[in-house]
Amino acid sequence: MSIKFDAIIVGAGPAGLTTAQQLAQKGFKVLVVERGRKPGSKNVYGGRIYAHVLDKLYPEYVKEAPVERWVRKERISFLTEDSGTTVEFETNNVEHKSFTASLSDFTEWLGKKAEAAGAMIVTESPVDSLVIKEGKVVGIRSGNDEVYGDVVVSAEGINRLVLERSGLAPKLEPKMVGVGVKEVIKLGRKVINERFNLDEDEGVAWALAGFPTHYAPGGAFIYTNKDAITLGLVIYLSHGDKVDAPVHDLVEEFRLHPFINRLIKDGQLLEYSGHLTPVMGLNASPPSLYGNGYLVIGDAAGFLLHGGIIIRGVDFAIESGRVAAEAITKVHEGGGNFDEASLSVYGKLLEESFIMKELRVFRNAYKALDEPRLYNDYAKFINAFLKRYFDVDGTPRKLFSTFKETKGNVTMLDMMRDMVRMVTNL
Amino acid sequence: MSMERKIPIEERLNSNAWDVDQRPHIRIKDPDQCRKCDAKPCLYLCPARCYTPGSDGAVLFSHEGCVECGTCRVVCPSGAIEWNYPKSGYGVQFRFG
Repeated sequence: MSIKFDAIIVGAGPAGLTTAQQLAQKGFKVLVVERGRKPGSKNVYGGRIYAHVLDKLYPEYVKEAPVERWVRKERISFLTEDSGTTVEFETNNVEHKSFTASLSDFTEWLGKKAEAAGAMIVTESPVDSLVIKEGKVVGIRSGNDEVYGDVVVSAEGINRLVLERSGLAPKLEPKMVGVGVKEVIKLGRKVINERFNLDEDEGVAWALAGFPTHYAPGGAFIYTNKDAITLGLVIYLSHGDKVDAPVHDLVEEFRLHPFINRLIKDGQLLEYSGHLTPVMGLNASPPSLYGNGYLVIGDAAGFLLHGGIIIRGVDFAIESGRVAAEAITKVHEGGGNFDEASLSVYGKLLEESFIMKELRVFRNAYKALDEPRLYNDYAKFINAFLKRYFDVDGTPRKLFSTFKETKGNVTMLDMMRDMVRMVTNL
Repeated sequence: MSMERKIPIEERLNSNAWDVDQRPHIRIKDPDQCRKCDAKPCLYLCPARCYTPGSDGAVLFSHEGCVECGTCRVVCPSGAIEWNYPKSGYGVQFRFG
């Protein structure tokens, strides 16, 4: 027996479930195929979701979605073994801009939304490959089963084996991705409020560089959930050879850094995870985001904006899921047969959405962020400079002489060059 | 579990929910490639320490504890790793993600 669907979606993550929900509520017969036990059980991210995309799709989300805390405090730190320099921004504004969440919970919630709209989600089924007939994707293969659909949406995430096996994406290269490792640590709500100086539903998002990665390109993060914090780091795989300790040790050293350890004293480890993350934006996209019978969305499409401090994946995933559903609807209404020409409407709609506008602006961000000096010399310099400057001992210390004394091996020319590269690309 | 110390990776992985398949989803295709490999990035970059050094330059692999990130297949310089997702929902079950 062969059942045919209007659309088959590979992967029940934020991108795929959005497409599923959007299509199902318009009456499409939608199948989502997920390898985990339930939606969210294989998802990992840093810790924060930018909410602008939810206002449109799920107006009731503020009450319904599994929000942990609303981020109203942003911290950026350069950390060394014995010192740290932090910029902190705080706002009293209670607008709902971004929130921390457990991605497993959030994805499960999106799954319920998709099912409520009528989509079918099949779990515990890793998709092995696409079924391609006469140059057109016509379905998916999972174990001994083949399922057919008018269009297949790859929402399989960054580790895009299905696209690779079908020859629709090149093998991932180290320069395209970073490895993230993360610990979820339970502290209790009151303790978090006190130690991070937060009100009841307020959260902090904290990005750190320098010591956590042993000064290699990458960075660390801490987010506060309601009762737990998430703490972790990302190493750019292109610089993996510069790391002098295993990543699973680095994250522990970071956690045990005196400034961090005191914040999570008496905590309890709830989970330890790892995941790849795109770090090159559009430069790591498959050669084509659509073709005969298929579309690519979310991380698999390279839709993650990595701007150094701001890292946005989930909002891009959800928006690309919405755009894909809109494109499929248009092709369907136009009586199209989901070939490459008719699906080019997806490309057009992506251009009109914030996805391509923003990703193009940050297209070269990785070039600025790939500079090892940022994570090494500058992290050390800013701390050495301030340490020297504040170390009053009766010798006169003007800013510029302190600067010259502490800048290390970095030349003024390097600094100017890096500054220009950051200002123009970030 | 006190957190005032480095928690061994095995202990950290134990905090996760698991449903490990007996059949490994990842395989070193050609162990000789690993012996010849000087860099062995898998030893440093696997978040779960699934890869450990063996005798005479070999690399030992265990799929238990694998968090299914895919890092090893990306960093392996000789393409010696055959990588699949675990079958039928097996493997790590993230409760927080």
